[in-house]
Amino acid sequence: MSRRARSHPAACAVILLLASVAAGCTREKPPPPRGVLVVSQEQQASWIRNFNPLTTATAARWPTLAGIYEPLLVFNSVRAEYVPWLATAHEWREANRVLRMTTRDSVLWSDGRPFTARDVAFTFNLLQRFPALDRRGVWGFLSDVRTVDDRTVDFRFQRVFIPGFDEIAAQQIVPEHHWKDVEDPVSYPNENPVATGPFTEVRVFRNQVYELGRNPRYWQRGLPRVEALRFPAYPSNDRATLALVYDEVDWAGNFVPAIERVYVRRQPENHRYWFPLTGSSIFLYANTTRAPFDDVRVRQAVSMSIDRDLLVDVALYRYSRPADATGLSDAYVAWHDSSIAASGDWVRFDVARANALLDEAGLRRGEDGRRRRADGTPLRYEILCVAGWSDWVRAAQVIARGLEAVGVRASVRTYDFSAWFQRVQAGDFDLSLGWSFEGPTPYTFYRWLMASSTVKPLGEASMGNWHRYGSPAADQALHAFELEADPARQKRLADELQRTFVKEAPAIPLYPNPSWAEYSVARFSGFPSQENPYADPSPNKLDRGDCLLVLTALTPR
Amino acid sequence: MTYILRRLGFYLLSAWVALTINFLLPRLMPGDPATALFARFRGQLAPEAMQALRETFGLTQAPLLTQYLTSLRHVLTGDLGISVAYFPSPVSTVIGTGLVWTVLLAGSAVAISFTIGTLLGLVAAWWRRGWVDTWLPSALVFLGSFPYFWLAMVALFVFGFTLGWFPLGHAYADDVVPAFSTAFVTDVVRHAALPVATMVLATLGGWLLSMRNTTIAVLGSDYVNLARAKGLSPARVALRYAARNALLPSVTGLGMALGFVLGGSLLTEIVFSYPGQGYLLVQAVRNQDYPLMQGIFLVITLAVLAANFLVDLAYLWLDPRIRESAT
Repeated sequence: MSRRARSHPAACAVILLLASVAAGCTREKPPPPRGVLVVSQEQQASWIRNFNPLTTATAARWPTLAGIYEPLLVFNSVRAEYVPWLATAHEWREANRVLRMTTRDSVLWSDGRPFTARDVAFTFNLLQRFPALDRRGVWGFLSDVRTVDDRTVDFRFQRVFIPGFDEIAAQQIVPEHHWKDVEDPVSYPNENPVATGPFTEVRVFRNQVYELGRNPRYWQRGLPRVEALRFPAYPSNDRATLALVYDEVDWAGNFVPAIERVYVRRQPENHRYWFPLTGSSIFLYANTTRAPFDDVRVRQAVSMSIDRDLLVDVALYRYSRPADATGLSDAYVAWHDSSIAASGDWVRFDVARANALLDEAGLRRGEDGRRRRADGTPLRYEILCVAGWSDWVRAAQVIARGLEAVGVRASVRTYDFSAWFQRVQAGDFDLSLGWSFEGPTPYTFYRWLMASSTVKPLGEASMGNWHRYGSPAADQALHAFELEADPARQKRLADELQRTFVKEAPAIPLYPNPSWAEYSVARFSGFPSQENPYADPSPNKLDRGDCLLVLTALTPR
Repeated sequence: MTYILRRLGFYLLSAWVALTINFLLPRLMPGDPATALFARFRGQLAPEAMQALRETFGLTQAPLLTQYLTSLRHVLTGDLGISVAYFPSPVSTVIGTGLVWTVLLAGSAVAISFTIGTLLGLVAAWWRRGWVDTWLPSALVFLGSFPYFWLAMVALFVFGFTLGWFPLGHAYADDVVPAFSTAFVTDVVRHAALPVATMVLATLGGWLLSMRNTTIAVLGSDYVNLARAKGLSPARVALRYAARNALLPSVTGLGMALGFVLGGSLLTEIVFSYPGQGYLLVQAVRNQDYPLMQGIFLVITLAVLAANFLVDLAYLWLDPRIRESAT
C-alpha cells in the first residue's frame, strides 16, 4: 500500500514534461511596432490571398472594401449623410434620367497613374459585361455609362429611379489600366492591388497573418497616419474575443457577451466599446398568406403579447432597445418620425389588449384556455430560427412564452441556416425570425417589407418579403419615392411609408441590431465614440465606406 | 505478391465507393452555396446580390449523372475545382494552406502517443501490478474520458493565460519569418507543444490499454513460456517474442489513426487557432462548398486507404503466418 500512496506519476510526468518544454518561454509578447494597427474582423483559420473588390464580398479579404478600394461617395451611416470621396459632386439632368458625377482631381492610383472619370466608366461597364460582378444590381436600372471628359461621367437610366444613386455611389472603382487585361475578373484574385485607398501595399502575406502598408500616394495629404494594418487569423469568435481581451488586437467587431466585465474592466482606461444601433432590424415575420396572420388584428395581438424589454435583456444583454412601431433603426434618424412611431401602440407589451384583439378576430379560447379557429382546431405554431444564433433562439423563447400567455401554443424550432433559409424563402412557415434589408434611405427597407412588387408566390424562393405582404398604399409611396429627388418631399414620402407600416403592421419589429465595435485606445486615438460620433465605429460596416472614415482618422500614440 | 495485388484491388474498389458517396452526400443537403454565403452576412447583403452570386459560382442545373462523370474525370486528372467559400482559389491551394500544419500537429501527436502508449503498455504488462500498471492506466483513462474540448481549454487557460508558458495560439509567432532556421523551428515547437501535449494526453490511455491487454494474453502463451524455458534474456523475450505479437491489434489501430490525421483535428485547431484541415472542412460544410468538401474527403479517403495498405505491409513483416500464406 505504501507504494501506491507514493505518487501520482501521470500528473507529475505531464507537468514536468510541459514545464521542460516551456522553459525559456516568456510571458509578455512584445507589442506590434508603433503605428501598426491590429484588426480582427474576419474569422478564418488561415488567410487566402484575395483582394478582388468586385467579386462576392465574402471571398476578398476585409481591407479590400474597407481600405484598399474606394467608392464614389462614402455614406456615413451614423450621421446619415454622404461624404464626397472619389466623386466631388453630382447632379441630376434631363428630367432625372441622367446622373452626372464629377470625379476628384489629383487622385493617383497607388502605382502613380492618375485616376480619371474613364476608370469609373470602365468599372461600371465591366459590371455590365460580367453580371456576376454586379452585386448591387445597377444594370437593372442603368442603360448606359460614358465619360464626358476626364473628370465627368454620365450615368443614363432606363427610367427615373432616384434610389439608384445609392447603389452607384457605393461602387468601388478599379483602375482601367490594370483590369482591362484581366481575362476573367470574376475569378481574379488580384494579389497585388493597385488602388486609390489609404492602404495598398501588401507587406507580408502568410497563412496566419498579413500586413498592409499605407499608400504612399494617398490623395488625402498626410493621411493615413496609421503606418500599416496587421491581420492575425483567429478561427472562432471565442478566440477572437480572447485576443481582444489580452490586447493582441486594437480594433474588432465581434459580439462580446457582458462586455463591461469581460473587456472594459480589464483595462478601464484603454478598453472601449460603442455599439450604436445602426445594424439591421430584427423582425418576427408572420406568414400573411396563411390565416389567421392575414388579419392585421392578429399580427398586432402577437406583437402586444411580446415583452420586448425582457427580450432585449435576455437575448442581447441589453445591447439594444425594443423596436418602435416603424421598425426603423438609428441608422435612419434623419427620416424617423417619433410622433408616427408613438401612434403605433401595438409594439407595447399589453396582454389584456392582445387577448381582446384575438377574441375580436374570432380566435376564442376553448375550455382548456387554448385559442381555437372557428372550425375548432387549436392554434399551434412553430417559431423558426437558426441553430446556433443564440440571440435569436433566446428571443424566440421569449416570444413563445408571450404567445402561450395569450392562449396560443408556440414552440421554438431551430434549423441549420440553409434549411431555415430555404423554408423562409419559399414561404413555408407560420412564424419566423428574420432580418431587414438596409439602405441609406428607408426606401430599400420598406420596399422589402411591404411592396407588392417584391411578393413572390408561395413555394417560389423570394430574396426578401418572406412574409409576402403587399400594400397598395405603400406601393404608391414607394413609386413616388423612386421619382423624387427633392429631400424635403422625400422626407414626406418616408413619413407616408412609416404611417402605412404602423397602420398595417406587415411584420412585427423586435429590436434594431447593434453595430459591434470594440477598440483599445492604448496605441491609437481617434476612434468614433458616443462622445465623438463622427462615423460608424464597427469594422463590419464596410459596404458603403464607413471604415474609410475611421481608418483615415486614427492617430498612433 | 497475390496478397498485395488482392489488397490493392480491394483498395481501388473502396476508393471508388468513397468517391461516389463523397459526391452524393453533400448534394442531399438543403440549400446551395449562394444561400450559404448569405448566412455570414445576416442581411447586410442586398437581395440583388443573390443573382450575382449564382452567376459567379456557375451553379449548374446539369443532370446528376453528368455532374458525377465530370467530377470523376476531374479527380482522375487531379483537378479538384474551385472553392466556393474561398472563391476564386482552387481547392488544391486552399487545402495546401493547412495540410503541412495538420500533418505536423496530428502526425506528431499520433506518433508520440503511439510510441509512448505502446511502450508503457508493454511495461505495465511485463511488471504486472507494479506502480505503472496500478496507476497509469486508470489515470490516463480518467484524463482521456474528459471531453477533449474541455481538456484543451483548461490546458490553454492554465499554461497559456495564467502561467503564460505557452503562446495562445497559431502555428508560429506573427513576427517570425518562416525559414529553415533555429529560431523558426524553436518557435514552431513552442507553438505545437500545448496542442500536441493535450492530444497525446487524451489518446495515450487507449494505446496503453490495448497494448497492455494483448501483451498479458501473449505472455501466457506457450511460445513465450518456451522462450523463457530456453533461458533467453528477459529483454529478448519481451521485445522479440511478446511485443512483436502483441503489437498486431495496435498496428491496425495506428493505421486508422494515421489515416484520419489528414482529416485534421477540428477541436484542437479551434481551441489553439492552429491552421489545418479540420477547420477547412467545417467551413466547407457550412458554406456548402461541394468542391472543397469533396477535395478534403478525397484526401482523407486516400490517406486512410494508403495507411491501411501500409498496415497490410507491416503485417507481412510482423506476422509470419500471413507471409507464409501469401507466398
